Amino acid sequence: MTTRAASRVARTAAAPRGASWIEALAVHAVFVLVVVFFLVPFLWLFTAAFDADAVAYIRFPAAPTLNNFVRIFTEHDFGRALLNSVFVAGSTMVLDVIAVALAGYSLSRLEWRFKSWITYAVLLLQTMPLSATMVPIYGLARALGLRNSYAGLILIHAAIELPFLVWLMKNFFDNVPRYLEEAAWLDGRSKLRALAEIVLPVARNGIGVVAGLAFLAAWAEVLMMIILIDSQDLKTVPLAFYETLRTQGGYTEVQYGLVAAMGVLYAVPVMALFLMTRRMMVRGLVASSRGL
Amino acid sequence: MARVEYDDVSKRFPTQDRPAVDHLGLDVANGEFLVLLGPSGCGKTTALRMLAGLEYPDSGDILIDGRSVVRLEPKDRDVALVFQSYALYPHMSVRDNIQYPLRVRKQLTAMERLSKVDRVADLLGIRQLLPRRPAQLSGGEQQRVALARAIVREPRVFLMDEPLSNLDAKLRTHTRTELKALQKQLGVTTIFVTHDQAEAMTMGDRIAVLDAGKLQQLGTPDNVYQRPANLFVAQFIGSPPMNIVDARRDGGALVLTGGWRVEAPRGLAGSDGIKVGLRPESIDLERAPASGAQPAEVLVSEPLGSEVIVNVKLGDALLKIRTGPDVRPDPGTPVYLRARPGGVRVFDASSGAALN
Repeated sequence: MTTRAASRVARTAAAPRGASWIEALAVHAVFVLVVVFFLVPFLWLFTAAFDADAVAYIRFPAAPTLNNFVRIFTEHDFGRALLNSVFVAGSTMVLDVIAVALAGYSLSRLEWRFKSWITYAVLLLQTMPLSATMVPIYGLARALGLRNSYAGLILIHAAIELPFLVWLMKNFFDNVPRYLEEAAWLDGRSKLRALAEIVLPVARNGIGVVAGLAFLAAWAEVLMMIILIDSQDLKTVPLAFYETLRTQGGYTEVQYGLVAAMGVLYAVPVMALFLMTRRMMVRGLVASSRGL
Repeated sequence: MARVEYDDVSKRFPTQDRPAVDHLGLDVANGEFLVLLGPSGCGKTTALRMLAGLEYPDSGDILIDGRSVVRLEPKDRDVALVFQSYALYPHMSVRDNIQYPLRVRKQLTAMERLSKVDRVADLLGIRQLLPRRPAQLSGGEQQRVALARAIVREPRVFLMDEPLSNLDAKLRTHTRTELKALQKQLGVTTIFVTHDQAEAMTMGDRIAVLDAGKLQQLGTPDNVYQRPANLFVAQFIGSPPMNIVDARRDGGALVLTGGWRVEAPRGLAGSDGIKVGLRPESIDLERAPASGAQPAEVLVSEPLGSEVIVNVKLGDALLKIRTGPDVRPDPGTPVYLRARPGGVRVFDASSGAALN
């Protein structure tokens, strides 16, 4: 009786699926194509990095070796570049989180003249292409003595992403119920402490997203690195790439194995960081969406 | 423990064309349970938030114990507010939620704080909830935690913004009773905002009825029920509300719609353009004709268990009459109405103000 009922249910459920299997196949085919398109470069990166004679197409190394990794550290001072990149991206992240938390809160909660104008002006800034402002940024950095300095790299990278992150954080703050901080004020907290103790922890997934994006933007940015840095001591990972490509035989004979090894060490930590924060963010979202 | 005064307070929000609170004057005695009652948008919550320091009045003054508080930050007013949505901090345990205001004040050691939290938790029967997070609690439990957080710091004034409206009907009635008993036990001046007239009647020492930002009447529940100051109060309070019918004066009598003559109350001023208000229990319903009783026809009877609401057609008006559980006349039955002496309220038809 129950099995017959179950099979009837199964038949009716299966009927529409059977009719549209072509549709499903088409969707999956496109999906597989897209995945392949994005995965191929990674596959090349990971095979070439362990190949002593890497070439410009994918092949599995005949004798896998760590020699490429050893050489980038010994011959190309890649350790220094990694440390510089971590320091610049990390500092940019900290600076952005502080600035964005305060500015986003102000746009979300406080009342002041021209607020809506400025809110939109902030977004407008983000539409400005970086290459359009490259020359003035270069001139400004030189006039202020910020070329070839950590401070210059950090300030400029923090500023590049700031408008978008402020706007993003404003929206996260908009979703924190006002009554939570009102309750904290009435419990005796000043507005700044209520922001730190109640609003920020409740908006922590927003802070996590802002921190991740700020770090990633500074980590992956190339143009500003090139125009601001020519000191060997300050070179970052993108500059190490550039240097390796250029010095190895003046563009004629590229050492693919070295570039791929750098690429692996450049990409993997960020991917790991993303996977870690993604889990944290999901937990944060689930926790904050209940019981408010 | 404090006296609260609203002195001619007005507030208009920039996006609205009429004031949210319009020249409000109130004097709340020390230890009193005052209910601000009115429909949504009447300004009751704005009035409460101005006292909490979450809104600023455009004019007028608000005083606690004789001292103006309008220039004080919310944190310096020493008032506790229970929010409609409870506003529990979602990232803290129940224990941390309750001790948060104590931690802020820094007057107690950690041990003293925790024992105080335990005492308040016992008082509200939520001791077993202390390690949990707000998201793990039911609505009724969250409501108790919010209350505990307000009580634990022993504020000068409790403010409550519809704290029962998110509870289901049964729990609401139960909590109503508890809250009233608790307030009497603690003796803290309380201002309670609600749109539910039954809540207001059962809990308030006095009720302030607001409409369109204006104070309509301030009085004890009995006073507001028996002697509504105007048509708005008459129709807002009571379930079913007061019957209001057109009337005119004829010597010592009032002639109601349908030709029903009732004796005019003593000391009645004015005569033209009046309406008469009769509570559903101020009309006696008789089955046999009697001298002075007004014949009418039953439209429908609504039994409610302990009582029956008989709907009667009188001229073009519909009257609701409260009777005992045994009186259930069928539709179309002729009945005879008699107004109880003292139950007749007369209002000015244009201004709505009570005339007796």
